[in-house]
Amino acid sequence: MLAIHNLTKTYGGLTALDHLTLSIPEGEIFGLLGPNGAGKTTLLRILTGLVAPTGGKVELFGRYAPTQPEVRAMVGYMPQQDALYPGLTVSENIRFFGRMYGLNGEALETRLEEVLALVELSHRRDGLVSTLSGGMTRRAMLASAMVHHPRLLILDEPTSGVDPSLRLRFWGWFSRLVDNGMSILITTHHISEASHCHQVVFLREGRLLEQGEPHRLMKQYGTADLEAAFVQATEQKGPNAPPSQKGGQP
Amino acid sequence: MTIRWIALRVILEIIRDRRTVAFFLLVPVVVMTLIFYAVSQDETAHVGVVTRGVARLFDADLIKSLENETDIEVVSLDIPDEETDLVRIETAIRDHLRSGRVDAILYMDEKLLVDRFAGRRGTLHLWVEGSRPTTTATAISAIASAMDDLADALPVVIDTQCSADCANSVNATPMELTKHYLYGSEDYRMVDFFLPVFPPFFVFFFTFILSTITFQRERTRGTLERILIAPVSFGQVVLGYVGGFFLFSLAQAVIILTYIIVLLSFDITWAQMFSIAGVTLLMMLVGLMMGLLASFLAHNEFQAIQFIPLVVLPQVFLSDMIWDIQRFPQVFQWIAYFLPLTHANWAMRDVLLKNHSFWATWPHLLMLVGFFMAAWLGLMAVGRKRTSY
Repeated sequence: MLAIHNLTKTYGGLTALDHLTLSIPEGEIFGLLGPNGAGKTTLLRILTGLVAPTGGKVELFGRYAPTQPEVRAMVGYMPQQDALYPGLTVSENIRFFGRMYGLNGEALETRLEEVLALVELSHRRDGLVSTLSGGMTRRAMLASAMVHHPRLLILDEPTSGVDPSLRLRFWGWFSRLVDNGMSILITTHHISEASHCHQVVFLREGRLLEQGEPHRLMKQYGTADLEAAFVQATEQKGPNAPPSQKGGQP
Repeated sequence: MTIRWIALRVILEIIRDRRTVAFFLLVPVVVMTLIFYAVSQDETAHVGVVTRGVARLFDADLIKSLENETDIEVVSLDIPDEETDLVRIETAIRDHLRSGRVDAILYMDEKLLVDRFAGRRGTLHLWVEGSRPTTTATAISAIASAMDDLADALPVVIDTQCSADCANSVNATPMELTKHYLYGSEDYRMVDFFLPVFPPFFVFFFTFILSTITFQRERTRGTLERILIAPVSFGQVVLGYVGGFFLFSLAQAVIILTYIIVLLSFDITWAQMFSIAGVTLLMMLVGLMMGLLASFLAHNEFQAIQFIPLVVLPQVFLSDMIWDIQRFPQVFQWIAYFLPLTHANWAMRDVLLKNHSFWATWPHLLMLVGFFMAAWLGLMAVGRKRTSY
């Protein structure tokens, strides 16, 4: 579904992505894990066509251009920022973004009901976004990102600023979406919660340290949780690791 | 102590935003320069002189009398001396006034001297362009005050039948001044001159401000990125904005027009109403495009707000709206030519004060379309660069 070949992005003298090669299969929750500044958001911005890479290629749904309208229509994006119109209601916001993807009429209304039900916001559908709590705003963001039923849903820190119980509910919704045929690419710096992913990659300073299933990585590094596995991987393969142990690409 | 740290933080933040510092320093200098030229120069009327018959012998004396008036600048006209047909002379006078080279033309035919030799007052004909009340008033007032000198410049009556007192009384008799208006009339009010520019000015002003701020918010809130990720082109986004703003600009134009027509008793025809709507719509589009462009050139809301005085104030001063652009140095006159409001004002005055048809103002309309296209292209270039690849 998504193949990244030798992708590089530099901002002046700063390297955000360093020759990243990665392939992501369809029908899974795929986690991009790493601390702040690891290059996760830069990668997502390249995948959505918002930023041009300095080098390398991105192949999405068999095409080499994320900016093609046919490709864009198959992608949903939920940024870190609460990018909604505070003066519009929840349903008006969702309808607006649905229309941007060509949804109209009955199909739009049906889909609106579905996404509102999924994120448990039907009761606040007529409330202005400016009156929502932080958690509710994130739920409205998720609903508006998937209203057009994308094949690939890109979520940038979707659970950022969300309390632990709601975070769990978010992961439950992600699983239901994947069960319904959607693929999810998700970034988080809450590494422990990424054990819900089918596969994860560890990113550090724009380089790929590891890729695999969470339980396999925990086993490989002999740790009880994913966060500890990430620390081990950083120590062994990160920028400050001894030269003999440095890996990078799998 | 706390206040000091807050102040220090504010200073640091502003100093590090170089564009804001530049705006801070630049805007007052620009505005003060414009105010200086706007208020420090006296109005001067450009006056031409046409004499025919025996009166031509006194051309030099007449022109000298006029040149003594500080508010008058005498302009030479290229009306052939051999032209004596009154109708053709009047046509040439109208053409000169229409061209804008002169504000008034003093016409003295041979009948003036015949009348004065016969002991009558004699009539001088003053043709005025008439569309700018201040210039018209300056020309009429300066010529009225020069009338005595003009009378002195004419030959004295030497009549054996007339005593010295009688001759002096004839020579001292003031001449009659008959005024002819190319546009408007004596009843023309100052407010009639300013009203035509209001609809395009207000619509431009508010559309520019609203679009600058709204689009800046769209960018900083992240919603613009979300739209551009969808299969929507940047051009569609801009056209969507045009559609959204159109309704409000239309409502604003209707309110201004109604106010002008009903409350200020401005008499206009349906054709003129159509012309006002056309120019106002064009100015709405130009204001919108310029607002969106300013929003993209600004890095934050603070910078975006500072574009407002930088774009609006020079247009208030240089667009011929209140102050005559001819009174500004040449460089400002060139700048004025590249300001949309200048062409909107000229088009509106051509239609409403000079009774030109809407399409006769095509050079100004074309310029407005040009501003729209230039801003659109600039916006496409900047917008695409900043939002996509």
